[in-house]
Amino acid sequence: MILLNTEELSIRYGAKTVLTGVSFAVNQGEGWVIRGISGSGKTTFARAIAGTVKYTGKLNIRYDAQSLLPAKTLFVESWYRFTNLEGDRNFYYQQRYNHQQRRDTVTIARELELYGQEYALDNNRLQALMSALDYDRVLDEQLFEISSGEHKKLQLIKALWLRPQLLIIDQPYTGLDVKSRGRLNDLLNEYTVNGGTLLLISNDAELPSCVNHFAVLMNGQFTTSDSAVVFEEKLLQPLPEFLKEPPQYSAPTLIDMKQVHVQYGDKQVLKDICWQVNAGERWLLQGHNGSGKSTLLSLITGDHPQAYANNIKLFGVQRGAGESIWDIKKRIGLISPELHWYFDANATVLQSLASGFFDSNGLYRQLRYMQKQQLNELLKFLDLYDVKDELLTTLPLGKQRLALLGRTIIKNPQLLVLDEPCQGLDQQQTQYFNKLVDEISKNGVTIIYVGHFETQLPACITHKLVLQDGRCIENTRL
Amino acid sequence: MANYFNTLPLREQLNQLGVCEFMSNDEFLDGVDALKGKKIVIVGCGAQGLNQGLNLRDSGLDVSYALRKEAIEEKRASWKNATDNNFNVGTYEELIPSADLVINLTPDKQHTSVVSAVMPLMKQGATLSYSHGFNIVEEGMQIRKDLTVIMVAPKSPGSEVRAEYLRGFGVPTLIAVHPENDPEGKGLEQAKAYCVGTGGHRAGVLRSSFVAEVKSDLMGEQTILCGLLQTGSILSFDKMIEKGIDPGYASKLVQYGVEVITEALKHGGVTGMMDRLSNPAKIKAFRISEELKTIMRPLFQKHQDDIMSGEFSRIMMEDWANGDANLLKWRAETGETAFEKTPAGDVKIGDQEYFDNYTLMVAFIKAGVELAFETMVEAGIKPESAYYESLHETPLIANTIARKKLFEMNRVISDTAEYGCYLFDQACKPLLADFMKTVDTDLVGKNFNEGKDGAVDNQELVEVNEALRSHPVELVGTVLRKAMTAMKAIKTA
Repeated sequence: MILLNTEELSIRYGAKTVLTGVSFAVNQGEGWVIRGISGSGKTTFARAIAGTVKYTGKLNIRYDAQSLLPAKTLFVESWYRFTNLEGDRNFYYQQRYNHQQRRDTVTIARELELYGQEYALDNNRLQALMSALDYDRVLDEQLFEISSGEHKKLQLIKALWLRPQLLIIDQPYTGLDVKSRGRLNDLLNEYTVNGGTLLLISNDAELPSCVNHFAVLMNGQFTTSDSAVVFEEKLLQPLPEFLKEPPQYSAPTLIDMKQVHVQYGDKQVLKDICWQVNAGERWLLQGHNGSGKSTLLSLITGDHPQAYANNIKLFGVQRGAGESIWDIKKRIGLISPELHWYFDANATVLQSLASGFFDSNGLYRQLRYMQKQQLNELLKFLDLYDVKDELLTTLPLGKQRLALLGRTIIKNPQLLVLDEPCQGLDQQQTQYFNKLVDEISKNGVTIIYVGHFETQLPACITHKLVLQDGRCIENTRL
Repeated sequence: MANYFNTLPLREQLNQLGVCEFMSNDEFLDGVDALKGKKIVIVGCGAQGLNQGLNLRDSGLDVSYALRKEAIEEKRASWKNATDNNFNVGTYEELIPSADLVINLTPDKQHTSVVSAVMPLMKQGATLSYSHGFNIVEEGMQIRKDLTVIMVAPKSPGSEVRAEYLRGFGVPTLIAVHPENDPEGKGLEQAKAYCVGTGGHRAGVLRSSFVAEVKSDLMGEQTILCGLLQTGSILSFDKMIEKGIDPGYASKLVQYGVEVITEALKHGGVTGMMDRLSNPAKIKAFRISEELKTIMRPLFQKHQDDIMSGEFSRIMMEDWANGDANLLKWRAETGETAFEKTPAGDVKIGDQEYFDNYTLMVAFIKAGVELAFETMVEAGIKPESAYYESLHETPLIANTIARKKLFEMNRVISDTAEYGCYLFDQACKPLLADFMKTVDTDLVGKNFNEGKDGAVDNQELVEVNEALRSHPVELVGTVLRKAMTAMKAIKTA
C-alpha cells in the first residue's frame, strides 16, 4: 500500500530551483534512505513532505486507518532550536557555563512529561527508550545545559515515543557516539517492525537493517539505486601561502592542566584531569556523550568561569593572572557544534570567515587590506568565493561547516580546537574535511580534534586523550 | 539630605544637564589599563552585578563580591550566583577596606543604606561607582571628599550585557563622573576602563553627567517607556473587547504587538517603524499621532517639570517612607486589568499583521517617543541623552511586555520607574477618554487596509514622509544607531 507519493514535485527558493518534477513513492512499512551531496535538496524534500515549504505539483500521504500508530508525519530536523519558558529564543553561546539562579527553560524530565501529556503517550515505552539511549542521567538538567548529542537524543526519543506512521529523520546519527548509533538502529528496526514507515536522510554507511531502499538526489531529481553511491572525490587546491607559514608560538607548552575539577552542585563534570599539550602536537579527544569533552575544551577557550578556580596554564600564562579571554582566544581557532548553533544569523559567508580575525560571533570591525586579501584567498581555496555574500545560514550544512573551518584558520593561530567539526556531515564531506585538516597541519599548528569515529579521523593525529564520566582514562602518544 | 540638583545655581544646573558627548573609538585605546591590578569589589549579585562581574573578570580584572552578612549566611540567590561562578565572596567588612573600586549594583531603593554602610569602610582615595544617579542627585547623598564617584550604566538587561560581550560586541553604555567627587581627576579614565571591561566601548558610549542621566532617565521611564506603553496597551485591549474582537486575539495582539512594532523602531527609528505601514495607514497614523501629541503634551511637560523641581522624587520618597503603600496598591490594580487576566489566544499573528491590525499602537509610540524627546530637549537635556532615554530603550521595555504582559514589565523595571509609570497611567487614561471614543477597529483589531484601495494624495504623502524624516529624534538617531550596528533581531513568538 502506497503511503507517500509525489508527482511532478518542484520547489524553488527565489530564483534558485532545488527540485524539478520529482516523482517518488514509498509503501507502508518500508525503510528508505535518501542520499545526495551537500545542497542537493534532501532536506528541502523532507520539509515539503512535512509541509513546511511551498511546492508545486502533487504530494499525497495516505495514512492507514487500520494502523495502531497515529496518522501523522513527523520530521526530525538535523538542527533544532529550543525556547525558554516565555517562548523566546535569545540564548547565547556558552550560556550554559554561566551559572545564574534564575531558571528560564524547563528540565528534560518536565519537557518529556509535557510531551507525553500532549500526545497521551505510554510512560513505560519512554522508560525503554531512555534506557536504550542511556538518557536517564540528564533528566534533571535544563534544556540549555545539555550537549548537542544529548539534544539529538531528545529529539529521537520524542519521535520514537510518538511513533508516527511516517517518520523522517535528517542526519539521524549527528552527534551520537558509536554505542548510541547501534542502539538507535535497533530502535529504528523495531519501529518498522511495528508498522512504521521510515525515511532517513543520510550518507552514512551504517544503517539499520530495515533500510533497504535507496534514493539519490542529483540535479534536482531522484535516481534510485540498490546500494550506497560513491561520490566523486573532491580534489584539494593548493593551500594559500599565508597558511603555509608556521604559527608563532608564545610558549613551548600551550596547555598545562593540573588536577582540574569542575563540579556543579553535586554533579562532578571533570575529575582530576592532568593534561599537557605541547607546540606542534595533534591531539584526538574522545569520550561518550556527556563525558565532559566540551567542558574541558571550554576551559581552554576561555569560555568557562571555573577556569579561574583551577590550576591551568594557557600559552605559558596562569589563568586568572590578569589576562583577558580575548588574549587567549586570539591564539586559538575554534569550531564546535555549539558555536555553529549560536552563530550570528545575520552574517554573510565572508563576514563569518572574517570574524575569525577578531574571535567575535559576527563581524563588527573594519578589515585591513591584507586581511581582505587573505580572506579572498581562503574563500577561493575552500570553494566558497561564489557564495561569499550569501547569508551563512542559507548554505547547506556542509558548506556552513567549511566556512566556519575557514574562520578558525584565517588568522593562522597556534592552536586549532576542532570540536566535532564533522558533526552532521556525511562520509564524503568528512573525508574532504579531514584531508583539509591534514593539509593545514603541515605548517606545524597544534590541534585538538574531537571526534567519535575511529575510522573517520584526520591522519595527522599524534596523541590521544579519552574521557569517561569526567575522568581521563587514556592519555597516550600514538 | 537635600536634593543635590536644587542646591546648584541655574548656571551649574544647565552646565551639568548639558554634559553629553558621544565618544569616539580612539578614546578607548588604553583598554582596561586604568583598572589593571586594582581590587574591584561589586556590591550586589543580581543580574547586572553578576553579568558585569563575569565580563570584568574575563577582561583580566580582579573582581570579588561584597554581600550582606545575612545573604551569605542564608546562602541567598546572590551568594549562589557569585560562588557558583567561583568568585571570591565576603562581607562588607572583609572586602570593602581593600577595594580600589567599589561598584554598587544594588537596586535604587537600597542605595542610601548600602552607600551609608560601605562609605566608612572604603579606603582613602578609592572610587565608588553607580549605575544610576538617583541617590546622588535626588536624595542628595554626600560622598566623602577623598573618594571618586563615577557612573557606568550599560543600557541593556544584565543577561544581554553578558551575551553581547561573549559575541565580541557590547551594549551601548552611559558613563559619567560626579564633579563634586573627582579629587584626583582619575574618574573619567576609570569609567572608560570599566566600560571597556564590560565590552560597552564597542557599541557606543555616551559621556553624560549624574544630573543629566537622572533627569532624562526618570522622564523617559515614566512617560514613553513604561507609562505610555501601559496606557496604550490597556486602552487598546479594552477598545477591542468593546468592539467585539475575540479576547484571545486581542490579548495576543497587545502582548506581542509592542515588541514587533518597536523592533522596527530599534533598527530604523520612527521612520523605519512608520514605513512598515501602507501609505494610507501611515498617513492616518501620522495624523492621529499629531492629535495625541496635542492632547498629551501638557502631561509630558508636567512630568518633566516635577522631575526637574524634585517634586516627583519627594512624593515618591514619601511613599517609600510609608511602606510603599501607593506602589503596592497600584501594582495590585495592574495585575487585575482585563488585559492581564486574558491569556493570549492560540492564534498565529504574522509580523506584518501586527502593524496592519495595530496601527493605533504605532501612532501611540510615535507620539510618545517624539513628545518625550521634545520635552526633554526643551528642558535643557541634550538630544543624544534624550534619544537614549526615549527611543533607544523603548524596544527593551516592550520586550518585557511580550514576556509576560504589564505585570512583568513592572516587575522587571525599577521601583522608581514603576511608581512613575503608575502616576502617568492614571493621569493619561482620563485625558484620552474623548479621543478613544473616536477610535474604531480599523485602527486596532482589524486590518486598516481592508476595503480601502490604497490610494493616497502624492503631496500629502511627501509632506508626511518629510515631517517624519526631519524630526530631530530621527536626525540624532541615525548617527547613534550607526555606532550600534550589529543589533540582534528579536524572534517573534
